[in-house]
Amino acid sequence: MQEKDKTRRKVLIGLTSAVGLSGIPFAATPFIAAWNPSAKAKAAGAPVKLDVSKMQFGQQIQVAWRKQPVFIVRHTKESLATLDLSVPKLADPNSDLIEEPYKGLNPSRSKDPGYSVFSGVCTHLGCAPKYFPEVEPKPWDATWNGGFFCPCHGSMFDIVGRVFKGVPASTNLLVPPHMFDGSILTIGEDREL
Amino acid sequence: MNFFKLEINLIFKFVALTVTLFFSSISHSAEGGPCKDYGECDVFKYSLNDIESLQRGAATYINYCYGCHSLKYSRWGRVASDLQIPEDIFFENLVFDKSIKPGDLMTGSMPEEESAKWFGVAPPDLTLVSRYKGDDWIYSYLRAYYEDASKQYGVNNLVYPGTAMPNVLMALQGNQRLVCKDIPVLAKNGGEKRDDQGNTITKEKCGFLEVEEGTGALNKEEFDSLIYDLTNFLVYVGEPIKATRERIGWYVVFYFLIFTALSSLLYREFHKDYNMKKGKA
Amino acid sequence: MTEIAGKLFSWLNTRLPIVNTFERHLSKHPVPSKVNFWYLFGALAAVTLIIQIVTGIWLIMPYSNTEEQAFSSIEYIMRDVDYGWVIRYMHTTGASLFFAVVYLHMFRGLLYGSYQKPKELVWIFGCTIYLAMMAEGFLGYVLPYGQMSYWGAQVIISLFGAIPYIGESLELWVRGDYYISGITVSRFFALHVVALPLVLIALVFLHLVALHEVGAGNPEGVDIEEFLDDDGVPLDSVPFFPYKVLNALVAIGVFMTVFSIIMFFFPEGGGYFIEMANFEEANPLVTPDHIAPVWYYAPFYTMLRAIPDPLGGLIVMAAGVAIFFIVPWLDRSKVASIRYKGIYSKIAITLFGVSFLTLGYLGTVGVTEVRKTMSVVCTVIYFAYFLLMPIYTKYETTKEVPDRL
Repeated sequence: MQEKDKTRRKVLIGLTSAVGLSGIPFAATPFIAAWNPSAKAKAAGAPVKLDVSKMQFGQQIQVAWRKQPVFIVRHTKESLATLDLSVPKLADPNSDLIEEPYKGLNPSRSKDPGYSVFSGVCTHLGCAPKYFPEVEPKPWDATWNGGFFCPCHGSMFDIVGRVFKGVPASTNLLVPPHMFDGSILTIGEDREL
Repeated sequence: MNFFKLEINLIFKFVALTVTLFFSSISHSAEGGPCKDYGECDVFKYSLNDIESLQRGAATYINYCYGCHSLKYSRWGRVASDLQIPEDIFFENLVFDKSIKPGDLMTGSMPEEESAKWFGVAPPDLTLVSRYKGDDWIYSYLRAYYEDASKQYGVNNLVYPGTAMPNVLMALQGNQRLVCKDIPVLAKNGGEKRDDQGNTITKEKCGFLEVEEGTGALNKEEFDSLIYDLTNFLVYVGEPIKATRERIGWYVVFYFLIFTALSSLLYREFHKDYNMKKGKA
Repeated sequence: MTEIAGKLFSWLNTRLPIVNTFERHLSKHPVPSKVNFWYLFGALAAVTLIIQIVTGIWLIMPYSNTEEQAFSSIEYIMRDVDYGWVIRYMHTTGASLFFAVVYLHMFRGLLYGSYQKPKELVWIFGCTIYLAMMAEGFLGYVLPYGQMSYWGAQVIISLFGAIPYIGESLELWVRGDYYISGITVSRFFALHVVALPLVLIALVFLHLVALHEVGAGNPEGVDIEEFLDDDGVPLDSVPFFPYKVLNALVAIGVFMTVFSIIMFFFPEGGGYFIEMANFEEANPLVTPDHIAPVWYYAPFYTMLRAIPDPLGGLIVMAAGVAIFFIVPWLDRSKVASIRYKGIYSKIAITLFGVSFLTLGYLGTVGVTEVRKTMSVVCTVIYFAYFLLMPIYTKYETTKEVPDRL
């Protein structure tokens, strides 16, 4: 075979395989994309709206957003004052280890200093922590200032969802995007973000 | 070589026959036709890239049709974004129930049993009407209402005789009637037949639709264009991906053409080996 | 690194015949050096089968096999699932093109005698594949639970009713209900996505194993094994790789171009690939004006209609498919290829092809008196082609077949 033919053959092999292989990602796209949340799933996971003005001070409620529990706590002045007291006990008081959407905005970690909004899914293995607002000694902590205790593996969080040192959970409870329109809280959407 | 010719001949015969059959099957679909008394359906040519037409169509649909006919497979937000209507404007102007969210299905506002009581049958969902009836049919049907005092709503339809739906667009179209007209008789050569004085010979024929002048808010062209937009919207909603599908299609076909060209060049290149081998043997 | 890989490979190869199998059945497998385009449809059928399996798996995920949701889950796939429309249209287009390709592949067999000794088993496995495909296609067509799904299934299941004595209870048993309900859909779903694909894959495997044992044919009907080179490789052969592979690649390119033109521009195939009435949800109380089977069953549907008696129709239709199985024993010709057969065979196969296409056309349109006569005539020609084959192939003058390709 002549040298010229060899080159021609090589070029053709290269071109054909390049074109053939370049089609693979495109052919794979529909099959990969089909596993994304569908329009139906997205609609079911649409932002949740609720009026928080009816909440009592110190009350904690749970709403479902994307079928996951989200905790909303309306703080009292007293409980907000204890936040600084807990700092020595916390593993990550400034939420440096996670993606915090409203970092440094309010001590409550939310867009409103009077409320906290965070996910009710323990960052250890996904149980739902329980709310114990009382400032009193607890079996799991003699100097309890109020907060969340996870019954599954004993992880502790303060009343704005920050994790304690030396517990199984390693990061703070996540804060979902949210916004307040007066007393109407929307979870899952923030036009300013 | 003539053996090969025979095969080619066979193939040609099959192709010719298939083509004939295909065309005769098309002409078959016209006989007895889907547009019934209307005759041939008017031909509708969709234009899904005409966003403004689709927007007007959507507005007409929601104002005049959505009260009874849901679009239950379609989502509000999808329509807004596909039709390039900003969501706040869309929800402000076209969504009357303020509890509706963008992701919700357009399930309609009429309870089915109630409506079945009013109309005798529940008004069907129209998401897929353009796919099971066809756009020609819709375009003809909506323009083929005429006055018929014997019917429950005082109207009947040439395309769908005995339709249970009143003509909700009558205020726009005006009163359309069936009239008789004198039409020229055509000679065998296709020209108009004339008598000895050179006057056209006419014959009375009935079944023509004519709108009583001044009774509708729109003139004929405006009304036809309204129905065009509405039908165009129904074509869109029947398959929202259609425009995208056709756009992507060009790229895919182009890709495979290139691939075919390259691989046949490569095939020919390697085929030389075989010829060499044969030469040796 | 390469050393470890090499060791691992040789470890595997001493325990599993990887290289051997690969060379024997793929890279060095000898194929006739000179074939025409008719010999490419087998490869295309394999490609289509793979497309159907992959898209099918992806369609199972969002599909819902209940009476309430089957229809709406199709619209869910078409609208709400990202790119769901691509996957579904690939599957519907693939279904029609699978049949198109297989019909051409089968016609190739008739044209060049691809069933003759020693290829009888290859042919029989192929016919069984076709039978399984017909069942697979029918079951799949019911799943969207549209009007045509429902009424098509109604007609086909009613065929069981024509069987004497057990007919009616058999119908009820197949449906599992008094109409084609969610339970029917869900059992059809199980058969369509698990049982029949397993059967199909097994049959395709057997078809190929048998083919590789006896070797692929060629349009001349020459036995290339007669003249071997010093290594025992047929002189008129080329190795599968790269020659046959490249040839198939060109065919795949052309095929996929046609595939994508249909899929992206005419996915309904003018109402032949996805029928218009199937965009309306199944309604057991309202029959559509015009029930027609999907085009690929149409020839056999016409045979069914050509016979006034339901049981007779059923038997004729079944015979129309079954007769393919005995073709190897009907053909008494000394030669395989139509190129060397006599004039009778040429006339017969032309008439057969025309009558098959006409039967197909008649199956998709309504019945009139003329068409009814035509369908009887075509059914007779169809069967005459097979039943007279032992006579006209035996007594016609054939041409001399060359030794070499």
